[in-house]
Amino acid sequence: MQTEESQETITPPKKRRRIGWMFGAAWISALSFCALFASRLPFITDYDEKVLVAGRSKSYGVGPSAQAWLGTDKSSFDIFSRCIYGARLTLFVGIGATILGLFLGGTIGLLGGYFRGRVDRLVSIIVDSLLALPPLLLALLIVYRLDDLKLEIWFWSVTRPWEITITLGILAIAPLARITRAQTISLREREFILTARSLGAKNSRIIFRELLPNLIPTMLTVAFTGLGILIAAEGALAFLGLGIERPQTWGRLINIARDDLDRAAWATLFPCLFLLLTVVSFNILGDHIARRFDIREATL
Amino acid sequence: MRYLSQRLLQFSIVFFIVTFGVMVLMRLGLNAPGDPARTMLGGTVSQEMIDQISKQYHLNSNLIVQYWYWLKGIVWSQDFGYSVQQNISVATYMRPKILVTFFLGIYALTWGLIIAVPIAVYQAYKRDSNFDKAGNFFSFFFISVPALVFSPFIIYVFVMKLGWFPRIGEKIYPWDNFGEHFRNFFLPVVVLSLPTAAVFVRLLRADMIATLQSDFITLARAKGVSPQRTLWSHALRNSLFSVLTSVGVQIGSLVGGALVVEQYFNMKGMGFLLISTILSKDLFVVQSLSAILVASVVFANLGIDLLYTVIDPRIRHARALV
Amino acid sequence: MSTEDNSAFLEVVNIKTHFETPRGVVRAVDDVSFSLTRGRSLGIVGESGSGKTILVRSIMGLLPKRGTLREGAVMYRGENLINKTPAEMRGTWGREMAMIFQDPMTSLNPLMKVGKQIAEPLMSHLGMEKATAWATAEKLLHDVHIAEAQRRLSQYPHELSGGMRQRVMIAIALACGPSILFADEPTTALDVTVQAQILELINEQRRQRNMSLLLVTHDLGVVAGNTDEIAVMYGGKLVEKAPTKTLFAEMKMPYTHALLESIPKLNHAAHTRLATISGRPPDLVHPPKGCRFAPRCHFARDRCHSEEPPLTAGKSPDHVYACFYPVGSAEYSERKVEISRS
Repeated sequence: MQTEESQETITPPKKRRRIGWMFGAAWISALSFCALFASRLPFITDYDEKVLVAGRSKSYGVGPSAQAWLGTDKSSFDIFSRCIYGARLTLFVGIGATILGLFLGGTIGLLGGYFRGRVDRLVSIIVDSLLALPPLLLALLIVYRLDDLKLEIWFWSVTRPWEITITLGILAIAPLARITRAQTISLREREFILTARSLGAKNSRIIFRELLPNLIPTMLTVAFTGLGILIAAEGALAFLGLGIERPQTWGRLINIARDDLDRAAWATLFPCLFLLLTVVSFNILGDHIARRFDIREATL
Repeated sequence: MRYLSQRLLQFSIVFFIVTFGVMVLMRLGLNAPGDPARTMLGGTVSQEMIDQISKQYHLNSNLIVQYWYWLKGIVWSQDFGYSVQQNISVATYMRPKILVTFFLGIYALTWGLIIAVPIAVYQAYKRDSNFDKAGNFFSFFFISVPALVFSPFIIYVFVMKLGWFPRIGEKIYPWDNFGEHFRNFFLPVVVLSLPTAAVFVRLLRADMIATLQSDFITLARAKGVSPQRTLWSHALRNSLFSVLTSVGVQIGSLVGGALVVEQYFNMKGMGFLLISTILSKDLFVVQSLSAILVASVVFANLGIDLLYTVIDPRIRHARALV
Repeated sequence: MSTEDNSAFLEVVNIKTHFETPRGVVRAVDDVSFSLTRGRSLGIVGESGSGKTILVRSIMGLLPKRGTLREGAVMYRGENLINKTPAEMRGTWGREMAMIFQDPMTSLNPLMKVGKQIAEPLMSHLGMEKATAWATAEKLLHDVHIAEAQRRLSQYPHELSGGMRQRVMIAIALACGPSILFADEPTTALDVTVQAQILELINEQRRQRNMSLLLVTHDLGVVAGNTDEIAVMYGGKLVEKAPTKTLFAEMKMPYTHALLESIPKLNHAAHTRLATISGRPPDLVHPPKGCRFAPRCHFARDRCHSEEPPLTAGKSPDHVYACFYPVGSAEYSERKVEISRS
């Protein structure tokens, strides 16, 4: 009785949470909207249009002004529009990688957790191996090799954006598999699964009808938080020179402006801000969903 | 003991799979004889040179044989291979760079813990206070801040605007000049340690809150034990598990962070080396660096396992029975 | 109130403990009063959710401060404890008042050696050196009849059996020689065979050390032979209180009676249906308007639902009960006949 009562006394500060959630959702929607319709929105400069601010162009760009809201970079490109065009690809790559990771990681985690035994041991080894190498190093190795091999799968030639999507998708496998596996193991012992099994339901039926629906909230949370992490990883890859040439993503913009940080801080700090706000927003959304579905933090 | 040997076996399997995997990955597409040597040497080189290197490192044998010779070299004669491009042994080439990254990693982990533990403990103790709320806000924020964003901001403020620190973090060993070492490493370590601390704070706070609600804490209070003692001696020790477990994963993300931080701060560390050697296809260097990283993750996890058994007698007991 | 007067050793006056929850205010303990003299024992009986555990923790001041509202007075040796801060209470906890918890598995620190857990209060309250404290701890383990005390000291709780863990807990409680022992369901988590031993141990130590005992349980059978007085709680209120013998001889509350009926008895024929109390304990956020037991009481009448019965004195000395139509009253018998007929 005592514990029950003391738990009941926890009153969550709801208002602050809602503000955070609304902010995250607003930022993501605004960014996605701009990115989707970048070429049609009047206030976004075309990707290749050079912007002269007050008729000037300097070797390191010009600061924020009415013509270029966030200033220009050293080639006189509008940083705001570059950031938006960058968002286009970043979001595409991030979402693609998350879907790939969810599919692959979710599948092996589910199989390992459901069948246990030998399958599980195999899954554990795969997951442990993927986790043993620092993720960014793994990404570097894979992108670089994919790039080198110039894969042609049937009529689909794997271009840089796809390479990065695949790479980040592979990075997402291990953590997602681990979470799915843990969840599956705990679900598997619950009454409704045991009932289904004792009624002689087939494995496939149990997995698709009983397990999968119950895994969705967790997966959704992890997907959002993971999206933030993958976007940050994409930024890091681009920064380290293994990014996408065109359109340039935020990481690459940061890299280009690096040497001008003292003279043209805007060229570095605004792409940074875009990256930061996006990652934070996805984390907030993930957190929000986790609270909605009451998922304990420890499982993440 | 049996438990530990089991874990050791498991970790060795992982080590072999990953190092072999890296080797295979690096050599995909280099199928013709002489290819690996040619790739490693880069540019135009004579056929004799290629033949000689291929022979010396068994580069024309199959992958398993190559792997065997590479591993044997490391284990038997601490020979990590040869960087043909730099014309020095990989070990000599790597050592100073590894030290830089090693310092970064160790400082970041240590500071992460030093910052996190008191904050998390106090947050859990004063739950829902303003301190707790601020702690939650900052830990959430710093978990989300990528090193790529943090580095420019911190350089902009502390180097450009305030001029407190040098922009370029040259490697100066603590035993040479500690003051300079500190100045050079301070900002990069801040960038790496705050997100680490944030992760630790969140895990530890959650565990501490759960622990503080358990009966044995009420008993400790009912015994008249002081709150400080209850917190630090009873509750903290019972709440360390998630944090310890996460250290293994944190090493991985620290290395990732270090890759970016080293670039931004121009520190010639392991990350610097990794990127340049991956790009220049210096096979042996990439292989050996990956092996060292994998080994450190594996050993850290083993160490954590050992630590568990020190902290929790129940695990010691249960494992003795296994 | 005189300090060493035995009649008022611990006096609880109109104590109320309320919790603020999102659902509303939970009146976990509502206006409970009783007193305890030195060396005597009182059993508090009630279902789970009747507020008995909260009452004990309230008296000791062990509840979390946040969201908790405490009113009334807890007079201990002439001093009111109710407004004391945890820091001020620390000298009382363990030294004057000690507590035995329900589940010895979760109440002992799993990562600390048994010896250290016993030695801790000795060192902080009595200022003992470590060696002396451990020697005393060993002696305490002897007192609670643990064999091989020396060896047990350096063991961890998980290496002991349930009964032994509870003995350790008693040793911890006894360590600093408290004058009141609160035992919160001390036998509930134990095997039946061990339960009697533990109760006997508690009583033996109480007599030897001239301690007062407050024994909280849901089991009327546990208090029957072990306490001088019995108080019955329902829905956060004290509903009947009497010396043990009086209570069993002349119980007045239908609730007490129902509790007694729900204990299986040896003289029942095999397969006799066990009497249960139907319904659920009252919601303490919105307690029933009149008597809190009325919704579940077979003998309740209109008055019971609208008016709260006050504590009335029974025929025997020290017997109080809160019921309009107590066992034995005309209305009670009348209804009883109706029930048996249907």
